[in-house]
Amino acid sequence: MSADPRSPSPAPLYACLYLPPPAAASADSTLARIAADFSPRFELHRADLVAIDVSGLERLLGTARTIGAELRRTAAERGLRAHVAIASTRMAGVVLAQARPGITIVESGEEAAALASIDIGILERIADVAGAATSISAVSALKRWGVKTLGELAAIPAADLSARLGQPGLVWRAIAHGVDVRPLVPLLDDERFESSLELEWPIEGLEPLSFVLTRLLEPLSTRLERRDRGAAVLHLVLRLVTKDRVMRSLQLPAPIRDVRTLRTLALLDLETHPPGAAIDSVQIVIDPTPGRILQHTLFTRAQPTVEQLSTLLARLGALMGQDRVGAAALVDSYRPGAFAMRPFKTDHDDQRRNRSDRRETGVENSARSASSALNVDPAASALNVVAALRRCRQPVPARVAVDAGRPVRVTTDRMGFAGGAVLACAGPWRTSGDWWTGEAGGAATAGRAGHAGEAGRTGQARGAWDRDEWDVALHDGGVYRIFRDRARDAWFVDAIVD
Amino acid sequence: MPLARADLESLLRTRRLDRTLTTALPSIHPLDDAAVAATGITALDARLGGGFPRGQVSEVAGPRSSARASVMLQLLAAATRRGELTAIVDVLDMFDAASAAAAGVNLDRLLWIRGHVVVNPGLCRDLNQRALEQAVKALTLVLQAGNIGVVVFDAAEAPAMALKRLPFTTWLRLQRMIEGSQTVCVLVGPEPMARSSAGLTVRLTQGSGLNESSGLRAQGSGSGLFQRFDREARVIRAHAHEEAAVAFSTVAAHDVC
Repeated sequence: MSADPRSPSPAPLYACLYLPPPAAASADSTLARIAADFSPRFELHRADLVAIDVSGLERLLGTARTIGAELRRTAAERGLRAHVAIASTRMAGVVLAQARPGITIVESGEEAAALASIDIGILERIADVAGAATSISAVSALKRWGVKTLGELAAIPAADLSARLGQPGLVWRAIAHGVDVRPLVPLLDDERFESSLELEWPIEGLEPLSFVLTRLLEPLSTRLERRDRGAAVLHLVLRLVTKDRVMRSLQLPAPIRDVRTLRTLALLDLETHPPGAAIDSVQIVIDPTPGRILQHTLFTRAQPTVEQLSTLLARLGALMGQDRVGAAALVDSYRPGAFAMRPFKTDHDDQRRNRSDRRETGVENSARSASSALNVDPAASALNVVAALRRCRQPVPARVAVDAGRPVRVTTDRMGFAGGAVLACAGPWRTSGDWWTGEAGGAATAGRAGHAGEAGRTGQARGAWDRDEWDVALHDGGVYRIFRDRARDAWFVDAIVD
Repeated sequence: MPLARADLESLLRTRRLDRTLTTALPSIHPLDDAAVAATGITALDARLGGGFPRGQVSEVAGPRSSARASVMLQLLAAATRRGELTAIVDVLDMFDAASAAAAGVNLDRLLWIRGHVVVNPGLCRDLNQRALEQAVKALTLVLQAGNIGVVVFDAAEAPAMALKRLPFTTWLRLQRMIEGSQTVCVLVGPEPMARSSAGLTVRLTQGSGLNESSGLRAQGSGSGLFQRFDREARVIRAHAHEEAAVAFSTVAAHDVC
C-alpha cells in the first residue's frame, strides 16, 4: 500500500540521555556506544549528555515511553544512571533531560508547555550545547529583570527582547519555546582507508606490482574523494614468500589522491628499496588529511602541480640520490662555501607574486625594453651584476710560489688547469673559525675522501679553519680564489671566479 | 630535377624537421614577457631582444672566468623574482649558494640537482662519461615535468671533449621537448655544444681586464678581493652572423666569501 502523499510526514523524535553527577570519567565512550546501539544518528554534546535521533524507532520498539524505558535499562546494565527525555525537538529533550529525573515524554507541539515551569538557570547549563550565538550575560540580564522561568521568557515579545539583548536573546527565547536553533550534527565513525590483496601466485618485479597497486589504490582514491580527503602518508606492507614483511611509509608533501601519482611514488620508493623476494600479499593503508583548496587563476604563469613536483623529485632522487636533490640554503656561518640542503617545497602557491609585484616588474620590463629600443647607453644601467664563484667542494691542492709575501705562480697536478704566472692578485684576507670546537683540520679535513659524503650533505667540512685567501688572475685567463691553510702551511684552490 | 629551396623547406616542415631553418624561428616581441625570459642585465637583454627565448634551447659559452656563472645566476634571479620555478643541473657540483643569494636568487624557488663527480672533483681532469649522461637524464626529467620557467644545465667546467662525446641528437631531443612551452633551457659550457638545435648562443669573453682595488682592501671594506671585472658578450643567432659585442661588468658581492 503506497503512502498517501497528502498525509503529513511523521514528526521527528529525539531522545536525550543525561548522566547526573557524579558521572564516571569514561562515561562519554559508554554513552556513545549506548546511543550507537539505538541509532546511527546521534550527537555527543558533552561527556554526560547525548542527543539521539530515534525517528522511526517506534515501529521497532513501540511507544516513546517504551523507547525511553529501553534506553534507561540499557544504561543501567552498563552501570550508568541516566535521565531520559523524549521530545519532537532536540533542544526540548536536552533541557528536560537535565531538569527532570527519570523518564520524561513530551508530545509533539507541547514542548513550550513542558518547559514553562523550568527555572531559567537551566540555560546556563546548556550554553555550550546551544551554540556560539548564545551568551551567558544575556541570561544574567534576564535574571536581573526578574524573569524566573522559561515560560516567562517565552512570553516576552520577540521585538522587545531583540531590542534589548540582540540575537542571543532571541536564541534563548527560541529555546524556551523548545525550538531547535540548529540541526543535529551526527558523530561520524573514523573511516579507515585500507585495502589489501592476497595474491594467488607470488609476483616478482615492479611491473606486475604496478597493476596490483593500481587495483588497490583506485577504490581508496574514490573514497578519499567522497570524503574530501587526501593521503598524507602512504603505508605499503608487502608480505614476502620468505614470510618476511616489508613496510614502507611515504610521507607525502601535500594531500594527494591521484592514483597515478601515488602509484609512481610507491614504485620509485621500491626501486631504491627493493623487497628482496617475491611478494605474496600487498596491503595499503592511507593516513587521510583534509584535501587542499586550490584557487586557480588565469593571470599568473602555470607552475607544476604538487603531484608533478612530487613525482619529479622522487624520480630525481632515485636517479641522483635523495641527498643530491633539493633547495640550497645558507647557514649562519663564516666558513667559506658553507651551505645546507633542504627538501624542495612542492607547494609554491603562497609564494606567487601579488598584483603590485607584477605591476612593478611589468613597468620595469617596459622601461628596459623602451630604453633598448631608443638605444640608450646600456652602461648607464644601475644594475650591478654580481661576480659569481664556482666552488670546489674539495679544495684542490696547489703549488704556489711566493715572492715578498705575494703569490707569483700557481700550479696544480690537475689536467685542465694550466695554471701559470700570476698577472694580478689581491689579498690576503684572513678568515678563521670553529677553533673553539676543539677539532683540528680545515682544508685537509675537507680534502679527505672520508668526509666527502658529509660535506655533500651540509656543505660544511668538520673542524676549524684558519686561512689566508687571495684572488689571483693567472696567465691562463682564469681568476681563482686560492688560500693558504695556516695550520698546515699548504695552498689550495678553493673557487673559480666566473 | 633538383629540388628548389622552397620545396626542400616544405618537405622539412612536413616531416617536422624544420627546426634548423632560420625562417622557422618564431618572431619574438621584446615586450612580451611570455615570449622571452629577461636576464636582468640591461645591455645583454637589449641585444637579446628582451631575453632568452622561451621554448628554445639556448647556450652561454665562454672560457673560464668569462662571467658564465654570473650571467647564469642573474638569469635565475630574474626568473625567481618573476615568481617562476627554476632548476639547475649542476653537473660538476660547483654551485655556490652564497653567490646565488648575493645575485638575488630566491633559493626556495631553485631546484638544485647536484651531479656526481666521480674521478676528480673540483677542477675536473677526466669527467666520467656516465656522470655526464646521468646529468643529461636529470635534465630530461626536469624538462619533461614541464612548467618550470628556467632550467640551466651547468657543465661549464666539464672537459670539452667529454661534452662532444654526447650524441648531437641529445640536444635535438631536448629542444623538441620544450618546443612551444614556456620553459627556457640554457646550456652553460666552455664551447657551444648544442650545435644546430640551439636557438641562441651567447659567447662570453673577458673584457679589458681587472681592476685591483688593494686600496679598498687595505681599508678592510668588503669581503671581495677583486672589485670589478669587465666582460663582453656576443649574441650568435642560429646560422646568423655574430653580432657586435656588448660590454657589461660584474662586481664582487660584499657578502660572498
